Amino acid sequence: MRTRMARTRSALAALLLALAALASGCAATIKPWDRDLLAQRKMKLVPSDREAATDRHVYFSKEGSTGGAGVGGGGCGCN
Amino acid sequence: MQLDRRSPLRARLGAAACVLLASAPAAPAAADTSTDPAPGASATQLELSGLVYGEKGRTDVLEPTVRVTRLFANGQSLTAEAGFDAMTGASPTGGVASLRTQTTTSASGQSTSIPASQVPTAMFRDQRESFDLGWSVPVGPFTATTGGHFSHEKDYRSLGANAVVTLDLLQKSVQLTGGAGMNRDRVDPVGGAVRGLTPGDPLGTAPDPKRVTSMLAGISRVMSRRWLAGVSATREVERGYLTEPYKVLDVLDPATLETAQQLREKRPELRTRTSVLASSTWHFGDAGGDVGYLNYRWYTDDWGVRSNTVDLKWRHDLDDRHWIQPHVRGYSQRQADFFRYYLVQGEPLPAFASSDERLGPLRTVTVGATYGFQVPNLPGEWSVRAEYLHQWGPGKLTRPQAAVAGGDDDGGDAANGGTVDLMPAVHIGSLLVSYSIGF
Amino acid sequence: MGAPGVARLERVDDHFAGRFTAMASPCEVLVDTDDPRVADAALEAAEHEARRVEAKFSRYRDDNVVYAINHAGGRPVAVDDETAALLDYARTCWDASGGRFDITSGALRRAWTFDGGDRVPDDATRRAALASVGWRRVTWRDRELTMPAGMELDFGGIGKEYAVDRAAARVAAVTAAAHVVNFGGDLFASGARRGGQPWAVGVDDPGRTGAAALWRLEFERGGLATSGDARRFVMHRGRRLGHILDPTTGWPVDGAPRSVTVLAATCLEAGTLSTLACLAGAGAKAFLDAQGVRYWIVE
Repeated sequence: MRTRMARTRSALAALLLALAALASGCAATIKPWDRDLLAQRKMKLVPSDREAATDRHVYFSKEGSTGGAGVGGGGCGCN
Repeated sequence: MQLDRRSPLRARLGAAACVLLASAPAAPAAADTSTDPAPGASATQLELSGLVYGEKGRTDVLEPTVRVTRLFANGQSLTAEAGFDAMTGASPTGGVASLRTQTTTSASGQSTSIPASQVPTAMFRDQRESFDLGWSVPVGPFTATTGGHFSHEKDYRSLGANAVVTLDLLQKSVQLTGGAGMNRDRVDPVGGAVRGLTPGDPLGTAPDPKRVTSMLAGISRVMSRRWLAGVSATREVERGYLTEPYKVLDVLDPATLETAQQLREKRPELRTRTSVLASSTWHFGDAGGDVGYLNYRWYTDDWGVRSNTVDLKWRHDLDDRHWIQPHVRGYSQRQADFFRYYLVQGEPLPAFASSDERLGPLRTVTVGATYGFQVPNLPGEWSVRAEYLHQWGPGKLTRPQAAVAGGDDDGGDAANGGTVDLMPAVHIGSLLVSYSIGF
Repeated sequence: MGAPGVARLERVDDHFAGRFTAMASPCEVLVDTDDPRVADAALEAAEHEARRVEAKFSRYRDDNVVYAINHAGGRPVAVDDETAALLDYARTCWDASGGRFDITSGALRRAWTFDGGDRVPDDATRRAALASVGWRRVTWRDRELTMPAGMELDFGGIGKEYAVDRAAARVAAVTAAAHVVNFGGDLFASGARRGGQPWAVGVDDPGRTGAAALWRLEFERGGLATSGDARRFVMHRGRRLGHILDPTTGWPVDGAPRSVTVLAATCLEAGTLSTLACLAGAGAKAFLDAQGVRYWIVE
């Protein structure tokens, strides 16, 4: 069993790798004539703010994890 | 009209151009059902939603919310949101199901009898109001957003503020995000706070407020014409009174494994959480094609809770006005270090202990779908989402035989030993209806 | 997310210049007045119209009549007066050009990548793209458009010039001062400046961005538009192929000039004639001579 420190370290390493992958690559920007699909409203990382907010509230009160995408939202007495 | 000579082609084009330039720009055609504000013009967006949520045998929640966003000509925007939760039902106390009936005391001061073999719960009725305000300002390639939050329940009050900055690079192909937030929550338990790991000795003072500081960093990127991806990480530190004021821990008699005593749970006063979220959105086919949204979140904290979450949504447009989006989510959690289903009399008391199932080993599977539609001749967009959530965990307790001498009030239960489920499955259904319109 | 830039007004010599970004281009409104309020009203009118036309006819949005038409899946779509007039105009252009000016030809871009490299689509790809092209496959009648599924309309070839004329008309409704509306090089001048002075317009050298203008034109009233393929091209067997595609063959037009600038009565007419000239390929000069317009051409 690896120690918690070692697991956190390797997790952070994986994170840095993912960040590097995202930040690097051909720094080719996407040409304006290729942004047709991207202009659609459904092309987002989070399809619905309302559903995401509802999920955050539901899972905060039913599970032990939080977070991932936002900061400083609301607290409630349900956990 | 031009006086120079015109070719027949020019005459034809000129005539057609005359008609075109004289045509009245109509009010938006029937096909234009945009609720996005027109660029450069101020516009208001209103969203109403209602959530109905029910746990089988447990809680029912009704939650309407209203959100208004106003976009100004200079690119700034203001958002205000108000929400109201009405909650009723039963919440597990943390005690262990028994082969005899038990009575429990609840936060609302009511008393109830629990049939055998069921996890004891306490009745509650509560309501919560919440208000959020946000203001967003574009500054060159940056966008700065600040927000505030206030919410209030009978025994809980939360205040929060946050600031997030995003930076667009490479003609909006890459976006960096950085943010920080703070919360200050105060809990005021009914009956006053009690000392942890005691049967109910009062704490004597009001519990420390819960102070949370959180930080966020993320990057998202347009990978190709049809693929968006992003990674973000958050870190939260919570300090203060983090114990659940009404949860109890059963202390079992070592011989019969029946509850001999109940103690209030106790959690540390510090919790550091880290989570990393990787997201990917992929557009299949051309305009009108399906879009898949895949998320994976890894979470860990210094209480020992570790979890993995996978979430997949699939958007399919039925036509211009209707779409469906099925959804499936899987969650798996490892228990907190101090999680205990129960304590056993005679063993030394741990420093911290909680039998709150939400800190235990559990799995959740969610299956659902959203249906989005526009009503003909009615502006605005609707969406309806139905979801089913199934949560379960391991943990069984087998009691030795002859635990009970006959003649109980409740008219009987096993005179032999039996096995009870310490974390019985939870079934939750929810329905979320939203309506959004722009002016 | 985020406005594409706030409109700015500034004083230049003896007139005002308002600038903003729309339709992926730098937009400019020049007003020959000393009154900043007049200039501001003119800028607001022009910007409003630019954004309105862009929002309505851009193929990059999922909430306008173009999106509805492109996703009707073969079903008829009823359109409003303005869209009907624009479709009529596009049909006239198609008819007058022998089918080479075709607003359904956007699908051909799926087959070609004009990045200066040497990738050319094979026959199968080209023919597949051609299967989704051709105004003759469209039924436009009784204010209803019926287009086979998989085809798409693209007003990019006339949208900006149309927006210029519309914006200039709105400015004229707001002030009598002489003005120029210039959206990314497609422009309209409303008349002589104070003192009878003409407007001076420079035509860019297509081969060298940022270099001094190739020509300097002076005129008082009219529309000016430039077509050409200096920047987007592909190399094939040592030959340079421009990005203007012939919708009847699926190949770039042979011998198209690098740059054609036309002065006509309206920006829409100027833009149509300069595009038709490019589509005429090696016959561009002869075509323009036959139309009786002033033009400037770089082969």
